[in-house]
Amino acid sequence: MDNVTGMRDGTPNLSSAELPRRTFFSRVGDGLHGAALAWLLGRDLVSATPAPDGGRNRIYDLRPRQPHFEPKATSVIQFFMNGGPSQVDLFDPKPALERYAGKPPGRDLASTIEFINEAGGFMPSPFKFKRRGQSGLQMSNMMPHLAEQVDDIAVIRSMFTTHFNHEPSIFLMHSGRPFSNRPSLGSWVVYGLGSENQNLPAYVVLDDPKGLPINHIQNWHSGWLPPVYQGTRVRAKGTPILNLKAKKEYPDPVRDLARTLQGRLDRRHRDQRPGETELQARITNYELAARMQLAASDALDLSQESAKTREMYGIGQEETDSYGRRCLMARRLVERGVRLVQLYIEGQIWDTHQNLEQMLAYACGKTDQPVAALLKDLKQRGLLDSTLLVWGGEFGRLPLSQSRQGNLAGRDHGPAGFSVWLAGGGVKGGTVHGATDEIGFRAVENRVSVHDLHATILHQLGLDHRQLVMVREGRSERLTDEFPARVVKEILA
Amino acid sequence: MSWLQVGNSSRCGEAGSYRPRRRSSGVFSLPALVLAVSISNLLAIQEESAPDFETHIFPLFEAHCLSCHGASQPQGELDLTTHETTLEGGKTGPALVPGSPLESLLLEKLHSGAMPMGAARLSDDQINLVRRWIEDGARRAEAEAEAVAVAASNVVAGPETVTTILNVKCLLCHGRRNQEGGLDLQTRASLLKGGASGSAIVPGKPDESLLIQRIENSDMPPLKDQARLSVRAVTSSELERLRAWIAAGAPYDERKPEPVVASSDALVSDSDREFWSFRTPVRPPVPKVQHQGRVRTPVDAFLLEKLEAEGHTLSADAPPLTLLRRAYFDVTGLPPTSEAVQAYEGTPEAYEKLVDELLDSPGYGEHWGRRWLDAAGYSDSEGQVSADAIRPNAWRYRDYVIRSLNADKPYDRFLQEQIAGDELFDYKAAKELSPEQRDLLVATGFMRMGPDGTYSVSQAFVPERLEVVASQVEILSSSVMGITMACARCHDHKYDPIPQRDYYRFSAILRSAFDPYDWLSPSETPVGPEADWNDSNMRVLQGAPVEEVREADEANAPVQREIEEIEQAFEEKANVLRQKLLKEKRAAIPDLVREEVIAAEKTPVPERTPVQEYLVERFRDQLQILPEELEKRFPSFQKVAKEKRDAVQEVKKRLKGNPRLRALFDMGGRPTAVHVLGRGQYQNPLEPVAPGIPSVLGVGLEPYRLEKPKWTTDTTGRRLALAKWLTQSRHPLTARVLVNRIWQYYFGSGLVKTVGNFGRTGAPPSHPELLDWLATEFVRSGWSMKALHRMILTSTAYRQSSRRNPGIDGDPDNRLLSYFPMRRLDADAVRDSILKVSGRLDTTPFGPPDSIEEKADGEVVAKESKQGYRRSIYLMQRRSTPVTMLDTFDAPQLRPNCLVRNRSTVSSQALQLMNSQTVRASSRFMAGRVIDTVGRDPEAQVKRVYLAALGRPPSPEELNWSKSTLADMTEEWKRDLDQDRSPEPRQGRAQWLALGAFCHTLFNTAEFLYID
Repeated sequence: MDNVTGMRDGTPNLSSAELPRRTFFSRVGDGLHGAALAWLLGRDLVSATPAPDGGRNRIYDLRPRQPHFEPKATSVIQFFMNGGPSQVDLFDPKPALERYAGKPPGRDLASTIEFINEAGGFMPSPFKFKRRGQSGLQMSNMMPHLAEQVDDIAVIRSMFTTHFNHEPSIFLMHSGRPFSNRPSLGSWVVYGLGSENQNLPAYVVLDDPKGLPINHIQNWHSGWLPPVYQGTRVRAKGTPILNLKAKKEYPDPVRDLARTLQGRLDRRHRDQRPGETELQARITNYELAARMQLAASDALDLSQESAKTREMYGIGQEETDSYGRRCLMARRLVERGVRLVQLYIEGQIWDTHQNLEQMLAYACGKTDQPVAALLKDLKQRGLLDSTLLVWGGEFGRLPLSQSRQGNLAGRDHGPAGFSVWLAGGGVKGGTVHGATDEIGFRAVENRVSVHDLHATILHQLGLDHRQLVMVREGRSERLTDEFPARVVKEILA
Repeated sequence: MSWLQVGNSSRCGEAGSYRPRRRSSGVFSLPALVLAVSISNLLAIQEESAPDFETHIFPLFEAHCLSCHGASQPQGELDLTTHETTLEGGKTGPALVPGSPLESLLLEKLHSGAMPMGAARLSDDQINLVRRWIEDGARRAEAEAEAVAVAASNVVAGPETVTTILNVKCLLCHGRRNQEGGLDLQTRASLLKGGASGSAIVPGKPDESLLIQRIENSDMPPLKDQARLSVRAVTSSELERLRAWIAAGAPYDERKPEPVVASSDALVSDSDREFWSFRTPVRPPVPKVQHQGRVRTPVDAFLLEKLEAEGHTLSADAPPLTLLRRAYFDVTGLPPTSEAVQAYEGTPEAYEKLVDELLDSPGYGEHWGRRWLDAAGYSDSEGQVSADAIRPNAWRYRDYVIRSLNADKPYDRFLQEQIAGDELFDYKAAKELSPEQRDLLVATGFMRMGPDGTYSVSQAFVPERLEVVASQVEILSSSVMGITMACARCHDHKYDPIPQRDYYRFSAILRSAFDPYDWLSPSETPVGPEADWNDSNMRVLQGAPVEEVREADEANAPVQREIEEIEQAFEEKANVLRQKLLKEKRAAIPDLVREEVIAAEKTPVPERTPVQEYLVERFRDQLQILPEELEKRFPSFQKVAKEKRDAVQEVKKRLKGNPRLRALFDMGGRPTAVHVLGRGQYQNPLEPVAPGIPSVLGVGLEPYRLEKPKWTTDTTGRRLALAKWLTQSRHPLTARVLVNRIWQYYFGSGLVKTVGNFGRTGAPPSHPELLDWLATEFVRSGWSMKALHRMILTSTAYRQSSRRNPGIDGDPDNRLLSYFPMRRLDADAVRDSILKVSGRLDTTPFGPPDSIEEKADGEVVAKESKQGYRRSIYLMQRRSTPVTMLDTFDAPQLRPNCLVRNRSTVSSQALQLMNSQTVRASSRFMAGRVIDTVGRDPEAQVKRVYLAALGRPPSPEELNWSKSTLADMTEEWKRDLDQDRSPEPRQGRAQWLALGAFCHTLFNTAEFLYID
């Protein structure tokens, strides 16, 4: 862990006795080092929280927990490229497609296509591929910024999923099963590890202000894990967290009077009921809620960043501003100990059913620079080693053309083989793992399932997917369920 | 496992894609098929010599597998010594599916490293070799003729696979309900008989079999219907299987399921049946205890017996007002009114009378109904897919539950109605349903409450349908029987004596209503391309009250007209283009035959000569216009079509849902056969099974007995038999499971803590005798739930103080109940009591759910009506957008159901209560009401707020704190209003706002949120 920001570790462990709460609050309030102090206090209070009593009153909380083994990464940033980026146009060159250009697919390929009535023939990529960086990893010319960081990323070209539809595939990517209401990856992670910062949500979702992805808020739901493990939507505009502030707050003195009275009544209520630990936890929560207002505002205040940094992320340029802001927020959040940040992208811009060239250029244009900037920025700050980046969608696309009008061809969903990449957090950069067949349709070599990917992400966080369980009605539930899952060791440093 | 099922279905591109085809296709050959050959030949895999069993695979097995999977006593009955035995597989089903690596367990085990067990994982090269071998058809070294023979014998060995292909790809149109072209593909005889075009199969001659020809030509399943009917093309490996099967003479497995005789069951032993929960409870004597004076009901005696053994007793009674508040919340989910508190304060001896009053109040059915709905997985939306379609008629079931509870319908009857209401009377013979009859159909909504996304045609394939059935099995088995059957869907249960066979026998009970090969859509609003739905392919029944139907029809008529007008205007435009296009297309017919083709098409189908038939078939493409063709040909028309679709969509939003009954009903006729599914996958059917109950429960009870009612309504009686079997008085689980769950809601956890799992992996009962006494007493009382409630509510155990008893060290979980467990209000009670206390609760019961809305900030709230807000049970309950307040306080995600609610203590709850607009608005509303009632005197106000919110008067100290806070708040508000130069009378407004803030503060206190 680094010490560059002084936020993550290496801070003295101060007990509550050393820091009288009242003084501390007033110092938080004066705005000087507000967030840092609030963070310290958060840690402090955590250690002061009483232990749960023998299981009956198990209190589900976000206190940091021991991983199963030494972790490589302590945070994850997931760029969820909903829509399904086209592997054969970005990361997986398939020159053989030139040979089959225009020829129609066979029976079995045809039986896997969503819009069978629209399927055309094989379509080579209109984009040029080139070897990049020291590693010589091949990428098309659609992501020039990422191409410069290529030696830091490991591309898995042999991902596959089981559904050709967005909904089930997005569910599968999030929760390991192709339907709703199971805990998402993020929920499992914070259930397993808790959070290093009690003043901020542990699992943050940065959705696109232009609209929620398919499956909406169900993507980051905690299923039957308690709601404390649910992803918290942090919005780029307005009140960042739901009900973080009242729409119209009472005058300050009234609010303080209310808090004082409530504190008095609650403490008395607690004192009259010795042994009911939940009551203390509840009082603590009210204090946390108050501090969260400060911490969240601070974490999301991009004006604290230098003009140079903002520029690097593309903030201020129309094309990259929105995604750039979210990428920069993601860095500020993991810096403050947020465990898992997910970024979504408006609508389904990777869903290039038609007009592939133009749509892909749009999607890459919006995201390439910000993603590459975040990668670079984390590296500069020494945070890349402890932050795992995961980039990918719910599936890839077919090597066939799909067209409603002939000349403006696109590509239909391709679940049988697609690419994702990982970086940082113990991942070996400049690596390519696995391969699709000659035409880029199906993963054939070193196939990596969604469960394999989940197991790998957990593994980098020091969690064994088989041991991370929630017992429900006598059944042990896991993110990977009963599916065989294998950590993709080949891409790890 | 549905992941695998889905993965193996033809839709994922795994099932032997573009393998080389060995035969030329039939009469019409398509260039696509030829190309498939050339491409696959160019694949890297194909360039190397294709692996075979003898040369490549056996040496690998010999080195790594045969020590366990050799010929003598192979592990898991899997013998890998020969090609045949390898294909045959072992206990968990076939080891591999030729052509389909992903379906192949063998590869899965090698890939994950689970096999070779205890040894190093095979190298990737070795695994890839096995993969290629399977991919390539898992062939032997012999000549191709030999390979075909093997394939044929494989088919003979497992003919169900052929049945499965036909079931999945054909039966919807050529099965029980529809026989298009007169063709029925359900049996060998009907295949031979064929349809209008002749016999479907010619045994021994695949090339001459119409079935094969039609599939090879890609005529069947018809391309244009595939999306709409959730069917995909037959893959080449499936086609091979069908060919091989016909080549082998089309042998058919006519095996009848073997009856399961409980007394001689190899899979379930007598010692399994000895487990306590599988034996009929015997009513124990009520024990004599030392503290006999504390015994108010027999419940106390059983609890005291254990406490006294540890040298303890029950705690003293809680103070009267504490008990009053507790009983109100526990019976009705709402706090007592200030008046009720004041009245009770004087007459605490009237507790028994209070209990009766509460049990007779409508709030009882609403509060306990909510709990039953949790167990049933109730939702007003289908869930599963993100559209999360509304269930416009689910609320009838919710009302049925509330009414039944309030009427204290005996539990045995309550269950019978919910499991088999449609089989309890001849509903098709009834001209108009009486309210009681309607209730019987509505009651079966219980079996329709799990998530069901199959209204989305792109997610209505067999695996998804099986998932729906599995949800209902889980709901039924966990909530009514207290056993977990879900594990046995894929394999024999690891801990409980529930073999996989029993899971499928149990699910066969539902097959006559839920047939995955003859599926009905759950919803009245299907989504997806070309969705075309009406009552006949939806799982709904007519029979809603006539006045409701009339009302909806009247409201919808003008909207329908509007839609028709839009469609008509569009049609006129389309028709012009259609004629134009048709002309163009006909021009493509060779001049020589054009006239004849057109004449042939005009000839009515039965009168066509064979030549005409041929011509129409041959030039079908030139004679018809598919909807999308028009848009393709005339790009400018696309915009018109889209505008029309959008306009219709927009108008449709104003349509009122059709009043229907959301019910489960027997579909009549012969349902498809149920097989044990290897690893839970439909592609892997094993032995056939007959409907039945878990055989561990098969001894000492009246058996599960099918009696087909002799009615006009064609019904199998399968569920009726289950309902009767479950509600026999000696049933070991039915009564125990229910009394245990009711107990849980009073005392925080059940006597059996795992309320949905009474099996070996569940927790043993803390008080077995008490559980059995309650269960037998429950049956004795005529299955009266209210009698059970009364028994608990009037016990000393229930009336105890909630102060922790410091004396008992060895019982940190309070399993002995030496004090009453304090607990937080559940989600519904939090919201409802804020509304009630602030005077905004609208107590109107029943009917369609109240709308919810998502605010700009993402908070999901109830829409306000003029009368205020109704109780949470009457809110629209959507799986995708739970009401934020309820979600925050642990309202369950019903997937599929919930028997124990989580209880979390998180800061989002604090944020919700502190900052949510709805809570603040309620606080101000309450302040206004308090001022209206008691005037401007702060002391009277504080007292009133205390009574209403906390069910007690304030202590002198609290009164002082409150009064001074209120005075300070008023001052501060006034100062604030002065700054704003508010024009209103500031003193009055400041007082009101301050009192609002004070009420808000009390809503945030622990005392408000917890029941002592």
